[in-house]
Amino acid sequence: MFDTLRKIINGAKADYADIRYEIKKDTIVAFNGRELSQIGSNSTDGYVVRVLDKGGLASVAFTQLTDASKSVRFAAENAHLIGKARKEPVRFAPTEVIKDAFIPELKEDPRKVTMAEKLELTRKYNNIPLKYDKIVMANISYREICREKYFLNSEGTEIREDLITVQLSGLITSRDGNLIQNIRVGAGGSDGFSSIRNQEKLFEENTAVAIDLLKSSPVKGGMYNCILNPGITGVFAHEAFGHFSEADIIETLPAMREKMKIGGNFGSDVLNIADDAPMPGQLGFYKYDDEGVKVRRVQLIKNGVLTGRLHSRRTAAEFNEPLSGHSIAEDYNYAPIIRMGNIFIEPGSHSLEALLGMLGDGLYVVDAKGGSTSGENFSFGALYAYLVKNGKKTEMVRDINISGNLYQTLKDIKAVGNELVLRKTGGCGKGQLNLRSSLGGPNILVNNLVVGGI
Amino acid sequence: MEKLIELSKSVSDKAEVYWLKQNANNISFKNAKLHDIDSKLQSGASLRIIKDGRIGFACTRNLLNREEFLRNALNSLQGGAEADYEFPLTVKIPELNTYNASLEKTANTALVNECARVSELLKSKTSGEIVADAVTHISEVRISNTAGTDISYKSTAYYMIAGVIFPGSATGILRFFTSKAFEPMPDSLINEIIHLYNSASKVVVPKGGPMKTLFMPNSSGVLIARILSGLSGKSIYEKISPIAGKAGQKIWSGKITVYDDPLNDKYPSARAFDDEGVACRYLPFVEKGVLKNFYYDLNYAGKLKAAPNGHGYKWGGDTITTRPMPGIAQFGIGTGDKTLAELIKAIDRGIILEGALGGHSGNIPNGDYSIAVSPALYVENGEIVGQVKDAMVAGNIYQTLKNVVDIGDTASALGNNIIPPILCDEVSVVTKR
Repeated sequence: MFDTLRKIINGAKADYADIRYEIKKDTIVAFNGRELSQIGSNSTDGYVVRVLDKGGLASVAFTQLTDASKSVRFAAENAHLIGKARKEPVRFAPTEVIKDAFIPELKEDPRKVTMAEKLELTRKYNNIPLKYDKIVMANISYREICREKYFLNSEGTEIREDLITVQLSGLITSRDGNLIQNIRVGAGGSDGFSSIRNQEKLFEENTAVAIDLLKSSPVKGGMYNCILNPGITGVFAHEAFGHFSEADIIETLPAMREKMKIGGNFGSDVLNIADDAPMPGQLGFYKYDDEGVKVRRVQLIKNGVLTGRLHSRRTAAEFNEPLSGHSIAEDYNYAPIIRMGNIFIEPGSHSLEALLGMLGDGLYVVDAKGGSTSGENFSFGALYAYLVKNGKKTEMVRDINISGNLYQTLKDIKAVGNELVLRKTGGCGKGQLNLRSSLGGPNILVNNLVVGGI
Repeated sequence: MEKLIELSKSVSDKAEVYWLKQNANNISFKNAKLHDIDSKLQSGASLRIIKDGRIGFACTRNLLNREEFLRNALNSLQGGAEADYEFPLTVKIPELNTYNASLEKTANTALVNECARVSELLKSKTSGEIVADAVTHISEVRISNTAGTDISYKSTAYYMIAGVIFPGSATGILRFFTSKAFEPMPDSLINEIIHLYNSASKVVVPKGGPMKTLFMPNSSGVLIARILSGLSGKSIYEKISPIAGKAGQKIWSGKITVYDDPLNDKYPSARAFDDEGVACRYLPFVEKGVLKNFYYDLNYAGKLKAAPNGHGYKWGGDTITTRPMPGIAQFGIGTGDKTLAELIKAIDRGIILEGALGGHSGNIPNGDYSIAVSPALYVENGEIVGQVKDAMVAGNIYQTLKNVVDIGDTASALGNNIIPPILCDEVSVVTKR
């Protein structure tokens, strides 16, 4: 394969060129209530070529080998167009030349599990919620993505890496008269099929929550002090803060770039945030990014002070900061962009009981239902929350959507719990989907969050 | 393609091949400078077969191995996903003008120059950070099945997205322009960006509470996701649509008319047939507040014993690897008779919701929304006072769309949604005051 790829980019005659070829095998088993709605396994493949020449960088994704030379030519023409239009040329930070093949070790290779077993296991989990009268729908699906990647660049790097992700996820919907509630459930990982075995308890517990939500009241909109559980702490770390650690987002937003200067103070001493993609066993694990750079742990915030950032070769050169290996593509349809690998707020010293005591009155907010950011402001939905009175969890409330100002909220993090929990399923959409976007944290105590209610 | 259909016939009762070729270019200006050019030259095919009442699926980017492609489809039959439908015989399709050959010849330099022109205009009239993207798509689709259908279309699409970002954030005032061929972004859109951006220079913290909310096309996705959830055949089948069984009843304000208008070929998303080869037609969902129809793909129409109405689309991902699901070609909300200025004048106290964060989360089937403004402008006595930050807008569409004050006279095309501004009353706004 590398010979073919080398021949393609040799035609570029540019300062730099790279090419990635991927075979993507996608396996799915999906239920729609008791009915199986989708099952099957398919492989598709494609190429992405990038050319850096005369001060510009451009990419072309193509699927037919016969289009290779045309694609290289387009990429070069577009790179020249960019170079001509810019005063400052696009540059790449230097990186070591690597020749490696990395095939991850798995706890049970999903490719060796039969489709019949995948079907039965998914059916078993899907049937758990459907045992209950108040549950009107379960849409549980099994998804397995195996990416076989070949990366080669004109500097001599040649990397073969496999990324194998399994995900068991879906929606459980409950209904009482006109009131419809739903809850997301998910398990999985990047270290093998064993991550989705023995998940009955997860499905039973989430089913119980979906039923309990029918009896709960909507939260009253207003400002609350809150404890965010690890599931939602992770979404906060990812959405509110993490995206602005991605250098390609702030690169072209001068005012945000000024605010996000290394050494700036962003929170109290208790706040530490890291992205640790090389941490073994977690969903976001990989060895090399899609520019052939070896990924490393990045300390983003240490004791409230901004200490690092996530980079591509382009942004590391632009910011004159160290490379981090975070340039990742969804698949062969896309050129890479900067993505978090495994972002989390690092644990501190407080137990949940101690945090509840410190909170006094407020909300204990449990698990996320999506989130987004617009720079200084963020928003995320939570599955549910408990009202906390005098340091005790009381009734369950629903329809929790929270918004806040990033800088103020980081300063309003008053205490950090002692147990780190990382999410098992991902799905960050930044123009491309990143199924392996891992996030997490401990319970954290945050003051003054705006809760929308309905 | 013919060979594949023949080959499929030899192993299954019925087969359908969907073939797509797509070339795309995306020119991206950030902070008023040319930043990136991304292109795609892609093609592929997907195959569905029906055998003994079961559906099988396979897809490929390179038809190098036809037998393996077929084997994948056959293997997927084994799980037993039921097919309560037949592939349609569609011979006559509406004639649409979806292709303008000039776009094939439009050079990237022309698109770069247009982004530069718009960026410079916005930069000279505002103090914000400028973004501009020009995108071209040239697509060819062919659907062939064993019932005898063999239909195809070619389409060209040009999109321009430009706007001004509020410094210190990643949000701003953006406008979309859509056409089948390259043409300059109209001055009216550029002037609207400049006017709204400059009106928002002051940050205000109004008192929260129920107030008038003008859902601009850019934030209408909040309403559309929930409207489409309620109208989808999939939601009916899953018993999660709050309006199932309410056809003929008045569910919203008499000012609200909602439809799919696939044959309106003024826009590049016009379609003569859906992704399953069913011919498209105008379909009203809600007329003057009265619920009329739901939308179905072949699968859910079959399960619900309803007539398929041309709404099976491979949205929501890679078209080649995605199976059809209920979807809409060109979703529209009927325009009213008020200009944007008149709508703003009608607000005694309220907000102009230019964008929303978190529209995809929350209890969508129930119609609930609870979103952060991103951004919103605060209006008092018909005048824009400034920008509101840190605020949330919440409600339920089955209530909000009963409280419609007026609808704008101009619809904007955002992707395949063609939507006017909608002014609603009594919408809950939570602020920090």
